[in-house]
Amino acid sequence: MGKESALCTIFVDGKNIGRVSDGAAFATEIRANRRKGLLSGEINVAFIKELNEVHINADKGRVRKPYIVVENGKSKLDDQLMEKVRSKEIDFNYLVRRGIIEYLDAEEEENIYAAMRENEINSKTTHLEVDPAIMFGVTVNGSVFPEFNSVGKHPLAWQLMKQAQALPVMNFSNRFGARSFLLHYPQAPLIDSVTYRAANLSKHANGQNLIVAVTTYHGYNMSDAVVVNRASIERGIGRSSFFKTYADEERRYPGGQQDRFTIPSPTVEGYEGEQAYTKLGEDGIVEEEMEVNEGDIVIGKVSPPRFLEEQTAFGAGIDKSRDNSVKLKAGESGVVDNVMVTETSGATKIVKVVVRSEMFPEHGDKMGSRHAQKGVIGSIIPQEEMPFTSSGIVPDLLLNPMGLPNRMTAGHILEMLGAKATCVNGIIGDGTPFARKGNDLIKEYGDVLERSGYDRYGNEMLYDGRTGRRLKSEIFIGPVYYFRLSQMTKLKLQVRSRGPVQILTRQPTEGKPRSGGIRFEEMQRDALVGHGASILLKDRMLDQSDKDSVWICRECGDTGYMDRVKNVPVCPMCGGTSKLESVEISYAFKLLLDELKSMHILARINLKSD
Amino acid sequence: MIVMAKRSNSGKVQYGEPVGVVTAQSLGERSTQMVLRTFHQAGVSSEVISAGLPRLIEIVDARKRAKHALMTIRFDKGIAKDYERVKEIKQKLEEVSINTLINGFDENLKNGTMLLHFDKDAMSAHSITLRKVMEILSSRFPDIEVSNEGNEVTIRYKKRKDVRGVRTAFVHVRDEIVSGVEGIQKAVINSEGETFYIAVSGSNLKGVMDIEGVRPENIYTNDIFEVLSVFGIEAARNAIANEIAYVFDIEKASMNFKHIALLADTMTYSGTIKSVGRHGVAGDKESVFARAAYEETIKHFVNAGFFSETDRLRGVAENIIIGRQITVGTGKVKLMIKNEELERFKPEDGEKE
Ligand SMILES: [Zn+2]
Repeated sequence: MGKESALCTIFVDGKNIGRVSDGAAFATEIRANRRKGLLSGEINVAFIKELNEVHINADKGRVRKPYIVVENGKSKLDDQLMEKVRSKEIDFNYLVRRGIIEYLDAEEEENIYAAMRENEINSKTTHLEVDPAIMFGVTVNGSVFPEFNSVGKHPLAWQLMKQAQALPVMNFSNRFGARSFLLHYPQAPLIDSVTYRAANLSKHANGQNLIVAVTTYHGYNMSDAVVVNRASIERGIGRSSFFKTYADEERRYPGGQQDRFTIPSPTVEGYEGEQAYTKLGEDGIVEEEMEVNEGDIVIGKVSPPRFLEEQTAFGAGIDKSRDNSVKLKAGESGVVDNVMVTETSGATKIVKVVVRSEMFPEHGDKMGSRHAQKGVIGSIIPQEEMPFTSSGIVPDLLLNPMGLPNRMTAGHILEMLGAKATCVNGIIGDGTPFARKGNDLIKEYGDVLERSGYDRYGNEMLYDGRTGRRLKSEIFIGPVYYFRLSQMTKLKLQVRSRGPVQILTRQPTEGKPRSGGIRFEEMQRDALVGHGASILLKDRMLDQSDKDSVWICRECGDTGYMDRVKNVPVCPMCGGTSKLESVEISYAFKLLLDELKSMHILARINLKSD
Repeated sequence: MIVMAKRSNSGKVQYGEPVGVVTAQSLGERSTQMVLRTFHQAGVSSEVISAGLPRLIEIVDARKRAKHALMTIRFDKGIAKDYERVKEIKQKLEEVSINTLINGFDENLKNGTMLLHFDKDAMSAHSITLRKVMEILSSRFPDIEVSNEGNEVTIRYKKRKDVRGVRTAFVHVRDEIVSGVEGIQKAVINSEGETFYIAVSGSNLKGVMDIEGVRPENIYTNDIFEVLSVFGIEAARNAIANEIAYVFDIEKASMNFKHIALLADTMTYSGTIKSVGRHGVAGDKESVFARAAYEETIKHFVNAGFFSETDRLRGVAENIIIGRQITVGTGKVKLMIKNEELERFKPEDGEKE
């Protein structure tokens, strides 16, 4: 083939536009022009040696990352420019415009040789990282000392931070989100990072600095559980509000009928009695600051009858409208926080009612730190029974030491040490990724602590609050930034002994809002079969579920019915009345028999007398 | 003797014990721990054997073509220690195609000729002579003419044919197997102390058995269907059990062999290998309800209607569906009352019932 393949192919946004003889030089020229400002800074060019192709990209959707340009072994961002940056004479965008900092996409990054730090620059270096921490995004930089944690823990830590209750917005009292949380006493962390400060995240803090002692407490904090000081909860640790919005609209139906927000009149179908509507105002909507509990109606609504014929059959005089009010579901309660009445663009009236409830930390609520150290509250202990230090400090939270070694979250320990030093010298610690070396940090924090009379590794003598005796070993104690996570007992706790059943199958309903039971599925069934526990299995599958009795004809095996007038069972197939037996089966099986009949299959049941 | 009897009796299962469910639970619990992994077996260089969950699924699904068939050929004492004899047998095993014997080829499709450059070293490694190759080619392909000049063999297609036809014919020539057992891709000699054995990828029991010096009882293959066709169902049952046990063994998952044996028996008791699933064991259940509850509900009900099937309600699933006590465990036993005996317990006059 020869000649032709020696030419380098040029692609612009993936489209072949021509060829040049020297691709590398061509790419370099484009780059030089871009740095001069002759070409847009949004253009990226990559020379792919293996294919002998130049890819020029200017389309949308590329992820790009800034780099400092290095020329002749020297960073273009020299001391002179840095001085100007410090004095705020020039800003980041100025440097980008001047080609000192440039944004590169994934393809162009293949062509560069970047140094992580300035002292690592050599003759081959083409670019310098702005900062090692830039390899992470905003969320990731929200965690401190991530470089000391096991790599697999990072995604879990960020997942956790997303679930933290916080002060997300300042106008929370005007918002009507479906579900939201509000932390009452948010605190800025004692250790933060450069990005945390830059994004001003402390204005929307999502945690609190708790004094944590790494010790056990009579087994109440085993396997990731934590023990919390009751007095700390009373002082406001983890206290939050939960907002839930109930919404409804006046829907329009064909035939000119529509829903009405009102207090339903006693003639309406499904009327629940005068008592049920006492919390509603004249307009059929609950009053603000009204206390509401499960089953209470917050929006009164009357809907037109489901079938038009109903109305015509009985004449216009009879009101066959239905009560279609919005109720609080099982386990829900609170105080009405806010009510909004407005219209959609289609001129449909809509109502939104926000119910607020205060959530105190309780057993089973989830807590977590910025290092994927999460656990539920195993016990809430009175302050008097918690261990205390010689200076009288009582920890807010007791963390089990067994949770630390195998998870390899050294950042958690470093945060405790650093935060303790912060408490002593009053300077907010810096936990920016890759900013400092671990040994330097330990030394620095240790020196601060030692100067103030603390142990340089953060250990202290603790005394048992119940006996007053000194604990045998020294305990590592220090502040950690802890989150209260959105999983809470109050929103999940559910029990059922009797309750509603599904209409179709007559089996118990499922799920918390319908006060349902816990499913007894195939695997659970197999467990009982495996044990040979036949009567327990029958109890679960039949007696406590959809037990029903049907009349079965001895003659033809078909199902019969009870003639209530003559009080005799009748078989519609053979017309007899004497040869029917009452048989206990599951209602689902009866349903199956009926559905089989609809498929023109008659399942005959041969009864056998015992 | 008493101890033995005791041990034996303690090993028996109770009447009504649902052994199938316990087996399913035991196997299921172990296999959830298994990771999708393939192992490199030592010896068979670069040959991957499937193990772990994929292999287990392969066995219980009764797949006709196992992904990685393997054979192990051992020898009697006389041969086992003789490396040269073993090597000789090994050379008879491996499939050798023309492709492996040539350095390259030039084909002229227009003229219908192909020049094969034979590799002398490759030929001597497989102990094959050029003359023999040419004999095989001319005897198996009547349409071609074979001639040679040193190691260059020219193949001429006698009939006029279109280019594509010539091309396919030449591909067939290059793929032609000139020595070895069909289906055996690779053979490697391994040693076990002083004795040697051959590990083979690919499986062909009959072909290997025909080779002189190999005795049938010394061959092991992991191809269950081949065991079935050569040795019969009893052997296939053992092959299934051994292969499943091997899977759990390399995963270091301990498992009572009785469970595996029960599974193997269930798969083979009918005389053919049935897979565990819709088309096999589960599809052959007696009860209509049990089959319909598993898969293809409507099909089973419609067929039951057509052929007026009777469900005797003897299994577990069907009794749960209709809401009766299941027929295993405590539901297996029934209380029988002799009415005539009951007479004796009738209340005396004046005594309250
Ligand atoms: Zn009848």
